[in-house]
Amino acid sequence: MKIARIKAIAKKEIFHVVRDPFTLALALLLPVMMVTIFGLAIEFNVQNIKIAVYDGDQTQSSRKLIDTLASSGYFLIDSFPTQFAAIHQVDAESDRAALMIEPEFEHHLWSDRGARAQLVLDGADNSTVGSVVGYFTAMQDLATHKILGSPITTPVEVKTRFLFNPELNSRWFVVPGLLVVVVGILSILLTSLTVAREYENGSMELLLSTPVEPIEIILGKLAPYVGLGLSAVVFVYIIARVFFHVPFLGSHFTLILGCVLFLSTYLAQGLLISVTTRKQQVAMQIAMMSGLLPSILLSGFIFAIESMPLFFRGLTAALPARWFMVICRDTFLKGSSLYALRYSFLALLLICTVMVVIASKKFKRDVEP
Amino acid sequence: MQPTLNAAVSVTELGVDFGNFKAVNQVSFSVAPGEIFGFLGANGAGKTTTIRVLCGLLIPTRGTVTVAGIPYLSEESADRIKEKVGYMSQKFTLYNDLTVAENLNFTASLRKLERTYYLKRKKELFDFITFDKPESTMVKDLPGGMKQQVSLAASMLHNPEIIFLDEPTAGVTSAAREKFWSLIKSLAKNGKTIFVTSHYMDEVEQCDRIALMRSGELIALDSPKGLKESTFPHPLYELTPKRKIPYSEIEALRSPDYFDSFQAYGLRFHASPRTAQSWNEFLMRYSEDFDSQIIQPTLEDVFIRLVEGQNR
Amino acid sequence: MNHQNLPHPQGVGIAVQDLKKRLGPNQALDGVTLNFQAGLMHGLIGPEGAGKTTLLRTLLQLLKPNSGTILYEDEGKATPFTDLRPSIAYMPQQQSLYADLSIGEHLEFFKELYSIPEAEYQQKSEELLKITRLDKFIDRPAGNLSGGMYKKLGLMCSLLRSPRVLLLDEPTNGVDPISRREFWDLLYRLADQKILIIIATAYLDEAERCAQVHLIESGRTLAEGEPRELLKLEGVPNFDALFIARSKRKEGPHATHT
Repeated sequence: MKIARIKAIAKKEIFHVVRDPFTLALALLLPVMMVTIFGLAIEFNVQNIKIAVYDGDQTQSSRKLIDTLASSGYFLIDSFPTQFAAIHQVDAESDRAALMIEPEFEHHLWSDRGARAQLVLDGADNSTVGSVVGYFTAMQDLATHKILGSPITTPVEVKTRFLFNPELNSRWFVVPGLLVVVVGILSILLTSLTVAREYENGSMELLLSTPVEPIEIILGKLAPYVGLGLSAVVFVYIIARVFFHVPFLGSHFTLILGCVLFLSTYLAQGLLISVTTRKQQVAMQIAMMSGLLPSILLSGFIFAIESMPLFFRGLTAALPARWFMVICRDTFLKGSSLYALRYSFLALLLICTVMVVIASKKFKRDVEP
Repeated sequence: MQPTLNAAVSVTELGVDFGNFKAVNQVSFSVAPGEIFGFLGANGAGKTTTIRVLCGLLIPTRGTVTVAGIPYLSEESADRIKEKVGYMSQKFTLYNDLTVAENLNFTASLRKLERTYYLKRKKELFDFITFDKPESTMVKDLPGGMKQQVSLAASMLHNPEIIFLDEPTAGVTSAAREKFWSLIKSLAKNGKTIFVTSHYMDEVEQCDRIALMRSGELIALDSPKGLKESTFPHPLYELTPKRKIPYSEIEALRSPDYFDSFQAYGLRFHASPRTAQSWNEFLMRYSEDFDSQIIQPTLEDVFIRLVEGQNR
Repeated sequence: MNHQNLPHPQGVGIAVQDLKKRLGPNQALDGVTLNFQAGLMHGLIGPEGAGKTTLLRTLLQLLKPNSGTILYEDEGKATPFTDLRPSIAYMPQQQSLYADLSIGEHLEFFKELYSIPEAEYQQKSEELLKITRLDKFIDRPAGNLSGGMYKKLGLMCSLLRSPRVLLLDEPTNGVDPISRREFWDLLYRLADQKILIIIATAYLDEAERCAQVHLIESGRTLAEGEPRELLKLEGVPNFDALFIARSKRKEGPHATHT
């Protein structure tokens, strides 16, 4: 193995990336777009949710509930219409939800039955329903304490803080997760294209007829994308810390180790796709299906894994993105140690090894069809 | 070159500009019905541009062009010209993943041929090329020569008067090439005009006349025999080195002391002496190094000689 | 008659014995037996689909034959392919250069792949650029080169390391006659250097430019030998006629064979 040959291949690969507008755009703009969309747009979405409130009780307790909602910053109390008008406003989509406080709310509060308030949501608007319900649940707990537990203030406050912080900053949750998505896209998509391009181009035949070793081709081709992936990590990290003020409680070493492991897994997967398909278009589609979609949909980035059906929960165990997601979020937000994350790391290591082994086995020194 | 009224193709002072670039300049020739006309030129010589004009794909900037009796003046005349010409290139004409029948159906529907006419014509053409495989054969499964003949049939479905062939026999077997040329000749005998372009000189050797283009201009037009005679008034020698002669010595022979032209032809050389005297001088000095024999120049020799002559 | 018939083999020779290779539904090679004598310029002549590319790829071990043997010899001694690999250069038929890389960048790239020392590279690249007359276009991307220039660049990349074996797959396909002559002129210079050159081509007029020709069709050898002698032996004027005569003769014995 000769370092000079690896360097030559890597240099050529960098030329390709820099000179191909599509790759370059993907590499540079994608992280920015992702961060903007997921970091800012999602945040915007969950603030100032307009809701209509029908207060059938008109008591101190019901007003406390409404106050809690109003002061949270998430909900914008739009109006206090009649019961029917409130529902109608949801219907007409002028409000996202309607809170219906039944008469005798306060009265029932102290009874065995418990007090009830009904939340009416526009089920068609899937994206907000989730966040509204989420926030509302948190809010409800707070309100319960505010209403019921006024005499004992301390425990309420403690509990509020504990519940509130992670929820209040959904970005704190989303932005570290972006690492997974951005790194995932860059690595798997770009590598799956790179080797397929050589086959499609006919240049693989020429390369393989030179003294260059397959392992040198692999390393040379992957090196620029490791660099690209890691710079995306740095980029997202800086954005997370500086713009979104996401705390970073864990060790940088743990995070970088996780990044490198995840990156290697996806690069190997991209390579495997590339070597097997040998066609850029097919490779790209398979990369989308096997790498990109899972890292958004099945990694816990958008949908919580705990709430997935059993089958999908099992499936996620085989996805590197799922384990890296845990590593990212926990090092950022929980400050988890390497030891605490050992299962995630082991799982990632296992998948990575399997991928690298299969990919290098598949990459042969011939052009047999 | 007087344009004749009944010419299949007649071009007078044709010019085509792309911006400031004169792709074709002052080109005039005419082709008689039933003639097999070869059209040669290096890359960028204006060959493709001229063919495009003759196929009705590009309106000329200057000059007059008449194809199959139709003066090329406008889009409307272009459509009429397209009815009269067929185009075949082995590379692009057929879809590999369609069957023979599907390919021909597709071509017929593009040409908006009437169904009974199409079926009759298809049968005629299949007979003509002696196509003996099932029509449901995938084009990709046809042998190269057969594919080329089906390709020819497809280009002739609408019974054009003029057929353009672009490198028609590149890569096919010798037997298929022989058959193809016998088909072409019988078409010509029946009054079809055949236009052949190719980089390969042995392919155009069988043409009645050959036009040679360079930098947008027509530099020669004659029969293959005529071209050879006019280009090489003196005999052309093939020199076979008796030992390995270093390239530097070969380079020295290129200088015009002895030869007008001295070209590597594989491991041999084709050389055209400047005069009978210079040839004798050469023999006296180099007879130890080379065997020599007089050869018939190939069209490639002609082509290179003419283009080089222009460069000097 | 043949000035290159030397008493001993010099350099690398390759002998191919009854090689068979199936590619999908096609029997690409159907028992090819050929002898590429060391130090000569060989023409591998046959129509498209005759198995020329497959044969070259098998020689390079880019494809594994289903049966048959390939024997590599260096100065008369059997040598494993892996020892020879660094001295073999190949120019595939397909466009195989990088459209977005300039001529200079291609040379640099192949210099590293072949681990050519800097001084040797400087001298060699300069020389090649001069004789191909590509020196003026050193910064032009391969994607913007004409057909002839592209082929010359391909040849240049393979010559950079002074190979001892040069395999060229249809090097003049789609190239105009002027560039074609230039290409053959380059090849003449190489023939000076005692290297084994194998040129696959579908153009029969190129056959007689080689020292040895090997006619193949449908994955089988039709004829082998010094081009003019072959023609004389068969009593035919050109290779088209030779092909036709030989493939007719071949049909008989083969039919009984299977």
